[in-house]
Amino acid sequence: MGAAQDKAESFGPLTPAMFHVLLALAGDDLHGYAILKEVELRTGGKVRLSTGTLYGIIKRLLNDGLVVELRSRPAESNDDERRRYYRLTPQGRQVATAEAERMDEILSIARSRNLLKKIRTA
Amino acid sequence: MAAADSRAARIYRALLRLLPFDFRSDFGPEMETVFQEQHKEAGRRNGTTGVLRLWWETIVGIFRTAPGEHLAMFHQDAGFALRMMRKSPGFTLAAILTLGLGIGANSAIFSVVHAVLLKPLPYEHGQRLVTLQQQAPRAGLLNQPFSVTEINDYRAQSHSLDGLVEYHNMNFILLGRSEPERVETGVVSWNYFDVFGVKPLFGRTFRPEDEQPGAPAVLMLSYEYWIRSFGGDPTVVNKAFTMNDKPHKVVGILPPVPQYPDENDVYMPTTACPFRSRPAFIANRQARMMQAFARRKPGISVNQARADLNGVAANLQKAYPNDYPPSVDYSLATSSLEEELTHNARPTMLVLLGAAGFVLLIACANVANLNLSRMVRRERELAVRAALGAGRVRMFRQLLTESSLLALIGGGLGLLFSWGTLSLLVAFAARFTPRAREIHLDATVLLFTLGVALLTSMLSGTAPALAARETVVGGLKEGGVQSTIGRGRHRMRSLLIVAQVAVSFLLLIGAGLMLRSFAKLQHVNPGFQPENVLTMQIGLDFTKYGSNEKQLAFFETLLDRIQAQSGVKSAAVSMMIPLSGNMRMTNDFQIEGQSPTPGQALPVADFRVVSPRYFETLHVPVLDGRVFTRADRPNTPAVAVVNRTAAHHFWGAQNPVGKRFTVDGGKSWVQITGIVGDIKQYGLDKDVPDEIYVPLAQSPLLDGILVVKTAAEPMSIARSIIELLYAIDPNQPAARVQSLEQVRAESVAAPRLTANLLGLFALLALAIAATGISGVMALAVGQRRHEIGVRMAIGARPGEILQMILQQGLALAFVGVVLGLFGALWLTRLLQQLLFEVAPTDPLTYLGVAVVLGLAALVACYVPARRASRVDPIIALRVD
Repeated sequence: MGAAQDKAESFGPLTPAMFHVLLALAGDDLHGYAILKEVELRTGGKVRLSTGTLYGIIKRLLNDGLVVELRSRPAESNDDERRRYYRLTPQGRQVATAEAERMDEILSIARSRNLLKKIRTA
Repeated sequence: MAAADSRAARIYRALLRLLPFDFRSDFGPEMETVFQEQHKEAGRRNGTTGVLRLWWETIVGIFRTAPGEHLAMFHQDAGFALRMMRKSPGFTLAAILTLGLGIGANSAIFSVVHAVLLKPLPYEHGQRLVTLQQQAPRAGLLNQPFSVTEINDYRAQSHSLDGLVEYHNMNFILLGRSEPERVETGVVSWNYFDVFGVKPLFGRTFRPEDEQPGAPAVLMLSYEYWIRSFGGDPTVVNKAFTMNDKPHKVVGILPPVPQYPDENDVYMPTTACPFRSRPAFIANRQARMMQAFARRKPGISVNQARADLNGVAANLQKAYPNDYPPSVDYSLATSSLEEELTHNARPTMLVLLGAAGFVLLIACANVANLNLSRMVRRERELAVRAALGAGRVRMFRQLLTESSLLALIGGGLGLLFSWGTLSLLVAFAARFTPRAREIHLDATVLLFTLGVALLTSMLSGTAPALAARETVVGGLKEGGVQSTIGRGRHRMRSLLIVAQVAVSFLLLIGAGLMLRSFAKLQHVNPGFQPENVLTMQIGLDFTKYGSNEKQLAFFETLLDRIQAQSGVKSAAVSMMIPLSGNMRMTNDFQIEGQSPTPGQALPVADFRVVSPRYFETLHVPVLDGRVFTRADRPNTPAVAVVNRTAAHHFWGAQNPVGKRFTVDGGKSWVQITGIVGDIKQYGLDKDVPDEIYVPLAQSPLLDGILVVKTAAEPMSIARSIIELLYAIDPNQPAARVQSLEQVRAESVAAPRLTANLLGLFALLALAIAATGISGVMALAVGQRRHEIGVRMAIGARPGEILQMILQQGLALAFVGVVLGLFGALWLTRLLQQLLFEVAPTDPLTYLGVAVVLGLAALVACYVPARRASRVDPIIALRVD
């Protein structure tokens, strides 16, 4: 795990947009449009990716092996055949995890300085 | 709605073209579908606002993504290009070397053009500086200097100037260092440096009180002199040195700026100069020795200043009709200093820049051709890549990246070339302009070089990249490697060859004309024999040798001792030597029997002081009468000798020997005793002036030039002559010790160097073009082995094959020569003002160049043609 962890960390820090794409794919295999929608939904419309930005990110993630394109499309998707589906690789998941942990560390510092409310434990 | 959707799709597709081809082919269709869905939804949910917002975000997104993607693509292409370059080192080396020479020539010449012609003057108020000169064309007096009273009048009466300053140059002897040193001294108004906007490097510039009569003498050192003589030691400020028997305190050091009009060692205010401060000199309106510079007030144009100053000139004419008679057409010429500093350099530098540009064009054409030849060998590779899905644009881009890399490396090499030749170029440019020292490889030159390199990559890379398109279409067909040499590509290669020959022809003509012109200049009879003559300048100390008697005694003692020296044939002293560019001294005079008409200008001639054996020493023929002897003394009747031109000009058919003239309105008369031959005083390409020589014994001479005719090599006895000088006065230095042949060579150095430089460019062009022809013919022969084999199999003899190939190569060369001929007839007009007695259409030059180029083409074609003639038909046919 150690070496893989290092490698995962060596990717960070990711750009926010890239992180959002990884987060979107962490839930499910998605096609491009679905990624855009997912990101927009999760952020309450605050983050809206354009096609140029999205595919710039996807190209980079594909090159780095953080996502792969699915050869077979999900059974239920009898939609436009030009659509391509992307899946997070184990390495992509590690990178996303590493980024989330990094942010978590920063957040805990912010909390200890009383810049953020404590997490409600309810 | 569907129409609107499809329009949006079209616009989106157009927008995608901003992205690199690879990116588009990977993700383009998918991006389109995503965008369509976004578009639909945005319209459904938020109407026009939503659609507009989507467009805005989409456009911004693509503009943000594109540069990075292109860069990544370049990175990948460059890596591939470097691998390709390593795979064919011969091609790479040839291309880089050719481009390096082409680009280097351009960045070197551009560094000169930039520093000399394009950059503003390095003085703070450089754009506003003007130089003033008095003109009296009908008296034959152009570009005259000023007298003190004139300077004062113009300063007081003009309204358009911020400041008007005077300048003259003198030689003084500076004592207080280990040896007496003769220093070039600029004598200037106190605000001279302020008007130019020059701030001192150390210390201060002059102040008004420095120029008060009787003020303690002060000096400023030029940067060069300070470095040369004081090793850049700032503590020299406030030290005092003895000059003209007075202490002179150094008050400041000048920064390294171009000095105009002369490169001086030191500067002093006018009151420190013993000549300039004589009351009689100051009062004499005709004692013109000073140059005048001025700074226009802000917002005043050169024309406005000119009009203002000519108004003052008109006032002076009214106030002093005797000094400015109407007949001489007196006026004042005002021109910008920048123009004055650079107009000598402009034609030569622009011609050289043009020539360098042509060399680069030839280099580009050659590399394009090399690229094309290589393309033949790379057809397989390119076809495979095309088959694997690399698009046309992709291939185009890859090839352009390769040529850009070549050009950039070539550009780096070119910079090295120009860096290596910089000091030579500075020395060359210094013959045309004092701005030469401003030449550096600065940021602008680097930027220019980069620009040229990129342009080069476009020029040399586009043709092969276009040719690659054909390859992509037909490359993988059966036998593709041998047979798909498209007709179009072959035509392009031929065209490139023709262009190279044509441009080479142009350059060779230019160089040929300059060389012919220089040869003509070399063959001009200067009117004297420069062989075995030693010259040195001896400027006497004003205070020690103040009277005519003392000067005469010094020079006569020196000449007697030199004369007694073994190895000396004769020796003399003169005010100036021919072809050395010294300042001229003109005077008007009145011929006996020709009473001056009021308002009519008197005749004017150049006056020269010479000692008796001057004409003998320089082998100037005596045409009539006698020249000076030791019997002409200060107290014997005044005599003079005229040159042939003056004799014809002023006395016409009469013999002037025995005639008399006066220079002081008839108070005293001078008798002409002889006529001597003409000498080219001011340059081999200049007209001979009217000259009147007067003897040393009857005219003061403080600053003389010693000329010694020697039996052997003149420089070999220079040391012993200087020893003789020191024996008479150990504090008396000699300067500019050189042979008269050196002086003569120096006087034509500028045209010689220009001719050499153009010749170098032309030879470079010829070499590149010749290798180009050779390479193309070799390739053509290689590709036609099969055909040649068939021809030989059916009975063609090797000689016929040789002839066939030669004919084809020479046909290309011939077309190139014809095109070059028209180009040359059209372009060489620009050389006109650089040529001496050679017409830009000189038939001999054209013929000679055509022959040279024809021979070069013949040699270039011969090697591949001979190889073709040795093709063994059996082998050639079996291989295919």
